[in-house]
Amino acid sequence: MIRVVGGLALAALAAGLVMAFGVAPRETTQGNVQRIMYLHVPSVWVAYLAFAVVLVASITYLVRRLEAADRLAHASAEVGVLFTGLTIATGSIWGKPTWGTWWTWDARLTSVSILFVMYLGYLLLRGMVEDRERGARYAAVLGIVAAFNIPLVHFSVYWWRTLHQPPSLMKPGPGTMPGVIVAALLVNFAAFSLLYVYFVAKRACLLRREAEAA
Amino acid sequence: MLTFARRAFIVLWKDLLVERRSKETLNALFFFALLLLFLFQFAIGPDRERLAGTLPGLLWLGFILSGLLGLGRTFVVERENDCWEALLLAPGDKSAIYVGKLAGNLLLMLVVEAILVVLFGFFFNLDLGGVLPGLAVVIVLGTVAFAAVGTLFAAMTAQVRARELLFPVLLLPVQAPVLLATVKATEAVLLGEPLGSVAHWLKLLAAADVVYVAVGVLTFDFVLEG
Amino acid sequence: MADNWGFVLAAYGLAAVVLLSYWRFLARHERTQTHRARPPRARPGVSEPLAPAVSEPLAPTVSEPLAPTVSEPLAPTSGHPRSKPASRPPLQ
Repeated sequence: MIRVVGGLALAALAAGLVMAFGVAPRETTQGNVQRIMYLHVPSVWVAYLAFAVVLVASITYLVRRLEAADRLAHASAEVGVLFTGLTIATGSIWGKPTWGTWWTWDARLTSVSILFVMYLGYLLLRGMVEDRERGARYAAVLGIVAAFNIPLVHFSVYWWRTLHQPPSLMKPGPGTMPGVIVAALLVNFAAFSLLYVYFVAKRACLLRREAEAA
Repeated sequence: MLTFARRAFIVLWKDLLVERRSKETLNALFFFALLLLFLFQFAIGPDRERLAGTLPGLLWLGFILSGLLGLGRTFVVERENDCWEALLLAPGDKSAIYVGKLAGNLLLMLVVEAILVVLFGFFFNLDLGGVLPGLAVVIVLGTVAFAAVGTLFAAMTAQVRARELLFPVLLLPVQAPVLLATVKATEAVLLGEPLGSVAHWLKLLAAADVVYVAVGVLTFDFVLEG
Repeated sequence: MADNWGFVLAAYGLAAVVLLSYWRFLARHERTQTHRARPPRARPGVSEPLAPAVSEPLAPTVSEPLAPTVSEPLAPTSGHPRSKPASRPPLQ
């Protein structure tokens, strides 16, 4: 079953690449560098998806004490951090030719960085609590706090950046983007989501085997 | 409801008594705050303009650093006298303990912050008379958010082996939006602008306060479980 | 404006490397699990060498969840040749 998802993910990734390089047009103002967006934006969407799953799984664990929920939260957080890191890296690489600098405290990079550090702390907590059951409980609580923090991070960073400066070019939101670009984004998002599912399934499986072996 | 409040108050009262007798936390934090001021002065340099520009940020850095030290010790008192087990065995809603501890931490932080504000005013020659009410509002809103999450995380990390490391590492990223909001609001207040101009920041802080305290009350039981 | 294909390549390349590395991390640990679960067989060849010091390009925190496996009562398979069948716990 997992293999099927993996295969699908691979196919979708290929389709995504085709869309990003073959179908999508060359952007007028930025040139072909803009194609990095087909990597950067789906990445951040998947990260949010991952952290939403962490929230649901954490609440489920606290309420029902299902070990599977705990493993799902753990796996999803790990993959989420992976994609968040990828978002930051691709955003930075995109930024260098576009803004002339590797790093800038624009709204998206800043809020994604905060997310990155929050959930990295989640993984750190998991690694530092020896007792399995207690680690699961603590991580669940942290997962809930972190998830509720996300909207706060968003608003605060957005206001922090834009109220005294004009909004940056990279403002998220495909509001006025042509259909082809949106389509390419969605295909890549689907591909990344499938990859996310594949990774989380395998990781949770690994966690289950570890727990059984112990 | 009333027993909840009474239980919370008992925890608060106990902590206040312990602190009144030993005064160790407050004294140490006062000295720490003073030292921070020296550090900031040395780090930024004598240029008045530069200092004036960074003042709101420095003020909140001072609050946060002192808060990290003070909050990290929230449950240390319990661990040292086997009171932790007693706490775990206490009947009824453990969230009352959270509220009691939160109130204690809030009081502690507000006292330290008041001292820091006075010291800042003294060392950096600020005229704080007119802006004090506005400043107080911002400080209270920000401190509640900080203390709410800090108390929860302090309970979590109390039992973990590298607790002095893990506590700030977990707390600081979560507090990032609060820091942004408070510094911006403080900036405006210190410039003499009315509170209305930063209403959105204040609303964010208020929302954060509500969310954090609610999550704390709802999840504290799970953290304290033996 | 220059097209900066170098940057595009760098971004996609980095993504490919990161995702592939994570996939390999999962695959490798899955193999460790499968080997440990199966009963020990007298194998003439050397089992897959699993060096503990394989440098993961990912941050160390990714491998932290695996920490409990090392402290388990079973003999760790990483970095050591397979132990004698007699010393292994019987098949459940």
